[in-house]
Amino acid sequence: MIRREQVRARLRLNAPLAEAVLTSFIRDAVETSGTAGVVVGLSGGVDSSLSAALAARALGPERVHGFLLPYRTSSPESERDARAVAGHLGIPHRAIEISPMVDAYFALEPDAGADRRGNKMARERMTILFDQAKKLDALVLGTSNKTEILLGYSTIFGDNASSLNPLGDLYKCQIWELSRHLGLPPEVIDKAPSADLWPGQTDEGELGFSYELADEVLYLLFDLGLRPEEVAERGYEERVVQRIVALEQRFRFKRRLMLIARLSGSAVNLDQEIPRD
Amino acid sequence: MAANNNILKIGLAQIDGRLGDVEHNAGRHLEWIARAREAGVDLLVFPELSLTGYRLLHLTPRVALPLGSPVLTRLAEAAGPMRVVLGFVEEGERGVLHNSAVLLAGGGPVHVHRKLYLPTYGIFQEDRFFGAGRRLETLPLPWGTAGLLICEDLWHPELARRLTVAGTKLLIVVSAAPGRIGPGAMPESQESWEALTRSTALLNTCWVLYCNRVGWEEGSFYPGASHIVRPGGEIADRAPLLEEHLLVAEIDLRDSDRLRWRLPLLDDERFDIKGPEDSEGPSA
Repeated sequence: MIRREQVRARLRLNAPLAEAVLTSFIRDAVETSGTAGVVVGLSGGVDSSLSAALAARALGPERVHGFLLPYRTSSPESERDARAVAGHLGIPHRAIEISPMVDAYFALEPDAGADRRGNKMARERMTILFDQAKKLDALVLGTSNKTEILLGYSTIFGDNASSLNPLGDLYKCQIWELSRHLGLPPEVIDKAPSADLWPGQTDEGELGFSYELADEVLYLLFDLGLRPEEVAERGYEERVVQRIVALEQRFRFKRRLMLIARLSGSAVNLDQEIPRD
Repeated sequence: MAANNNILKIGLAQIDGRLGDVEHNAGRHLEWIARAREAGVDLLVFPELSLTGYRLLHLTPRVALPLGSPVLTRLAEAAGPMRVVLGFVEEGERGVLHNSAVLLAGGGPVHVHRKLYLPTYGIFQEDRFFGAGRRLETLPLPWGTAGLLICEDLWHPELARRLTVAGTKLLIVVSAAPGRIGPGAMPESQESWEALTRSTALLNTCWVLYCNRVGWEEGSFYPGASHIVRPGGEIADRAPLLEEHLLVAEIDLRDSDRLRWRLPLLDDERFDIKGPEDSEGPSA
């Protein structure tokens, strides 16, 4: 029987091996598609930085095109960190501000709240990335991790849209571990994860639990197949377990066909074809 | 061929493939056959479904070949005196499709093994597209008796037992086994496979050749790490992870006999022991 204190160790990853597998995934996908490289939106956060870093190692930095896509209320630290990562990786990058396009639409919908505006920003970024991919003969590189995918914590056809996603079978703690292995700047790895859709937003604040906790609970539920009550019996707060189970069920509709690099025996949509209702 | 008739040079061709493109894959087989002949290989082994790719799903009927196909003849002729084992989708006599491995020798196919256990769980869907084989037979080779199994077949240990009881000293296992990784040095999937290949070799006191493919299909990777296990269960040699590679080694089938003289597990095997299935208890 697995005890709570053993879960963290089970989630450890052989980082050099994961790097070798995921760089081969990116190379294979680009070669098979016959395209010249990838485009990736850089938010200054750890997920997009890791995706870009893997692609730079897989293809060479010159074939990885980074795009900074700030809105006027985006945090200046996000842009600073994104530039630092692009510089660190030596990849060509460009900033395109999305405020004019987003504001033009909401001039017609002035009553829209923060959530609708945030979703629109995520989808605006996606349309720009796909357009730049067309222009540059490239694939759009995804940045969604397994924790987000299982919790449905993303904008459908926004940040969860991509042509290939090397991170989709990695829990958030594995993202951090692999990022440290690849030598990403510590300020990018250590800062509080945020979608930066409105000032002061953090993922963990919005979700109501930490990623560390979510990873462990999801691992027990999906990788090991425990029932929610069996997870709670191991010392996890019942309220948190129930919330995680509820999010996973509520947002199943957001999971769409996407090319996930399968690393475990529990890859979403591959090992686990879960019905939507 | 080596001077001693129990000694042979084997080659494990750990290749990638293009899913559903037999023409392209056959061309790649010709390259590796030429490379192996140059290295003096006597018996060359390709992975499971090496001619077609593995995750075919609804492409399966499109790439099926009968045993008499000119594609197989062309490869057999290119092999010259070398024996070749490769994997393909076989269209059987009744139109049933099989996940098969064929031995090519003397310019044509001489033996075919149809996969007996078709995994249909997790990411695997073989039972939807293939018919299961019905026969288990030993494989005649000039150096001694061999057996041929495909991937999942090895997870049902009675097959290896029955082959070795029938005289097999060399068990060839071809595979398209997807990888999974975790904290360990090797992929977790590889740890499982090596536990199986090593215990199969030891319990049956035979050589085991395990040839797995590399490359990606639909987001799932194949790690390679093909290997050779001695009759005592030690790994004699292993190909690298994730890269195409030709692993060449000389093996002596008499090593299997030599171990059996000291460790007579097969000679001691009893088939007369009554078991729980023989008693008149409640049946499932």
